[in-house]
Amino acid sequence: MKFYFLLVGLFLLSQCVREISGQAKSMESVPDLQNSMYRVVDGVPCVRLLNLSGEIGCANPGRDKVVAPVVRYQTGLDLARPSAILVSLDRMGELFDRHDVTVFFRISKDPGLSKNIGGILVESGTGIPNEFKGFSPDRKFPLAEFSPYQSTNYEWNPRGTGILWNTYTFPIFLLTNDSTPIMKKIAKENEKKTEGHTSNVAEFDLVMQTTKYGTHDSESCLKEGTCLPLGGYSVWSSLPPIHISSSKQVKPTILTVASMDSGSLFRDKNLGSESPISGLIALLAAVDSLSRVDALGELSKQLVFAVFTGETWGYLGSRRFLLELDLQSEAVRGLDSKLIEMVIEIGSVGRAFNQGTETFFAHTTGVSSATNATLNALKRAEVSLGSQNISVSLASTSNPGIPPSSSMAFVKKNSSTSGFVLEDFDAAFSNKFYHSHLDDPSNINSSSIVAAASLVARTLYILVNENKNIRSSVLDSISINGSLVDEMLSCLLQCDPGLSCELVKKYITPSATCPVHYVGVVLGEPSSTPYIGYVNDVSRFIWNFLADKSSALEKNSRSTCSQDCSNKGEVCIKAETKGICVTSTTRYVPAYSTRLKYGSGVWTVLPPNSSDPMAKIDPVWTESNWDNIGLRVYEVQEASLDRLILLAGIAATVLAYIAIAIARAFITKALKRD
Amino acid sequence: MTVAAGIGYALLALGPSLALFVTVISKKPFLILTVLSSTLLWLVSLIVLSGFWRPFLPLNSAASWPFAVLIITSVAFQEGLRLLFWKVYKRLEDMLDAFADRVSKPRLYPTDKMLIALAGGLGHGAAHAVFFCLSVLTPAFGPATFFTDQCSQIPFFLVSSIIALAFATIHTFSMVIAFNGYSEGNKVDQLFVPVVHLVAGMVTLINFTTGGCSIGIPILYIIAILTLLHCGKMVWGKLTENQIRL
Repeated sequence: MKFYFLLVGLFLLSQCVREISGQAKSMESVPDLQNSMYRVVDGVPCVRLLNLSGEIGCANPGRDKVVAPVVRYQTGLDLARPSAILVSLDRMGELFDRHDVTVFFRISKDPGLSKNIGGILVESGTGIPNEFKGFSPDRKFPLAEFSPYQSTNYEWNPRGTGILWNTYTFPIFLLTNDSTPIMKKIAKENEKKTEGHTSNVAEFDLVMQTTKYGTHDSESCLKEGTCLPLGGYSVWSSLPPIHISSSKQVKPTILTVASMDSGSLFRDKNLGSESPISGLIALLAAVDSLSRVDALGELSKQLVFAVFTGETWGYLGSRRFLLELDLQSEAVRGLDSKLIEMVIEIGSVGRAFNQGTETFFAHTTGVSSATNATLNALKRAEVSLGSQNISVSLASTSNPGIPPSSSMAFVKKNSSTSGFVLEDFDAAFSNKFYHSHLDDPSNINSSSIVAAASLVARTLYILVNENKNIRSSVLDSISINGSLVDEMLSCLLQCDPGLSCELVKKYITPSATCPVHYVGVVLGEPSSTPYIGYVNDVSRFIWNFLADKSSALEKNSRSTCSQDCSNKGEVCIKAETKGICVTSTTRYVPAYSTRLKYGSGVWTVLPPNSSDPMAKIDPVWTESNWDNIGLRVYEVQEASLDRLILLAGIAATVLAYIAIAIARAFITKALKRD
Repeated sequence: MTVAAGIGYALLALGPSLALFVTVISKKPFLILTVLSSTLLWLVSLIVLSGFWRPFLPLNSAASWPFAVLIITSVAFQEGLRLLFWKVYKRLEDMLDAFADRVSKPRLYPTDKMLIALAGGLGHGAAHAVFFCLSVLTPAFGPATFFTDQCSQIPFFLVSSIIALAFATIHTFSMVIAFNGYSEGNKVDQLFVPVVHLVAGMVTLINFTTGGCSIGIPILYIIAILTLLHCGKMVWGKLTENQIRL
């Protein structure tokens, strides 16, 4: 059969076919022809998210694919029919400004444009033009409703446009660097064909299950099972491990916090290099350096590190962590919320480089003796790092309070929480691409992260020693492994090597190479010992990394394991590659809305509890399910031409029939003459 | 281009053959068998040719002379097979005539013989249309259309259907001319068929050049009409000659 196709294709070639792209590549079979006709285009979609009062994000308006001709966006564009608009990044703001759709009203500032938007394709560029002043689809004060202070119109994110929170009744795709030139060529061809009988169309497949089933808010879609709640698994670890079996009391705890999830209009292009991954890497590097310090266990205070996920969507990780602490559940065994003395958060720390110095700011969570102690420790750490041009100062008092951060959840729960948030900015974000797909590694500097990690590591050492009896030789020996930071940057923020890098593969078998820092949805039942397949790659990496580092100076049995360890106080690390048992207190904490409960396979929304003021303002984000998501382009001709061809075929058949009948009659008559 | 256009293309290529089948062939079971066996023979010729050419594929599509060689060898082989088909038919004809004599029924009339030839030609033509047009028509039933660089004004599937129609006509009526030529020993007719087949095949090479299809396809149709007319003239001559003889 293969011969057939080869020969058929060949004879075909010998008759009139050549590959269309102009390269000397020949089509050899029908599937080749099919692929040339219907070209699949690489694109990252924006998906439908729902909350208790409605939906945001993008979806096809019905159950069918959206087919629309590709048109390039120009200022003053007016559309005659629904089209797929190809827009470049710097014009995106202009386009979205002209079109504003809210859920219940189709308020359009520009009716000629908006009712004819079939879909939007956003170009990717290899370089961002200099005049491009930044792009942030989040609001000017992200998660303002969770702020512990009143001034909710303060602009932490001045470049914020808020388009991330709009409802779009059409699909939006972000093109990749490879597919952008293809699309541009197609749009250009379309411009030449304005009066012709054919046009190039884009076919969007972004049909969301919530649209199909008519469930347009979280409660109804969770009941129908057409969506899943946003959430994941946060990780906490103590350094050194907490020996719960011993009769020793739980020590006063210093909690250091970072987050691992970011947001973006496009679900799978979500790096969050500056916010918050720079902070995450600084935390991991600090743990690494502190893990080499001897005799931390003999000190009077305990260090605990926590990395939360779901913070972008209403501080899901930190709020759930606080709830679990209240419930004294299995996930946080060994911790006592009353003994958490201070909370130090590492926020965005990748852009501190400013005229030769790495400049950081400590945003404090209120005035107290504990906070003063932390600030003194910070100052002392800065002094000890004197030769490295690092400076840290208190954030300006004209700020209304702490910037959007997990600490907001801590303070809102307990206003006497002491601590600070370490950031590289003072009055407003230095990140020009906050929560956008452009917050990539070119936006940060590894030296900033190293500086932040050094500050935090030394500050923590000083705090845990209660600022006395500190041998400066020990303090000065606490240094950050710069190559570890560089390696983590290439693992967590690039596609090559991405999660297939050696550091990550040492601990886990990643499911994908390109890292995506979107929180994802909660699969299965949330628990502190989840099925590992339901935990995403970055959470698993952080768990293994923290467990490995916190066990470095402990007595470890190092027996092989695949899931659990028989010795108490031991966990199985590197279980996906070659598991070994080490002594560590490292746990997963499920991160999902405190308003949700999972029971017998179904998620239910609980009424707000009066003891949990944040639950009342929690929107309860869920993500719609879908079957397929895809983007194709092909050329179509006018329907009238199709009908004409059918007519021609029928006419040819009928005419032939008539001609044959006439010929037959003729011949019969001729034969009868004899 | 949607289902309507897909059906249109299929009808363009095979509609007239279908009309011929329904009006003439379907009434006589023997003719149906002839169509099927002729289709099978053409199929076998394709298999053998593809087996022969397999080591040389894929051909370098930059130069057209490899395709010329391909066409020449294929046409030569198929014409050889046509001769074989004729010989088998002759044997069969003798057997049928002997059988008719035994049961005292009339022998095969000239019209019967021409119908058998027509059925043979139809088998070849329909097979050509199916393999060269219908087999690549599946994508045409979808929403997209396709244009090649060399023939950018007409959709590829339309070109494919039109060419298939021309070849179906040529094959169908060539067989009548060929059988007549072999039975009467008429050298002109015997040469006419292979020459027409070869020329038609080579003419399609013109489609390789940009804009070539606007020259190649009309020439192909001229050849098809020529074949049709020649066949008509031959048939008319045969019938009137019979009249005189009777």
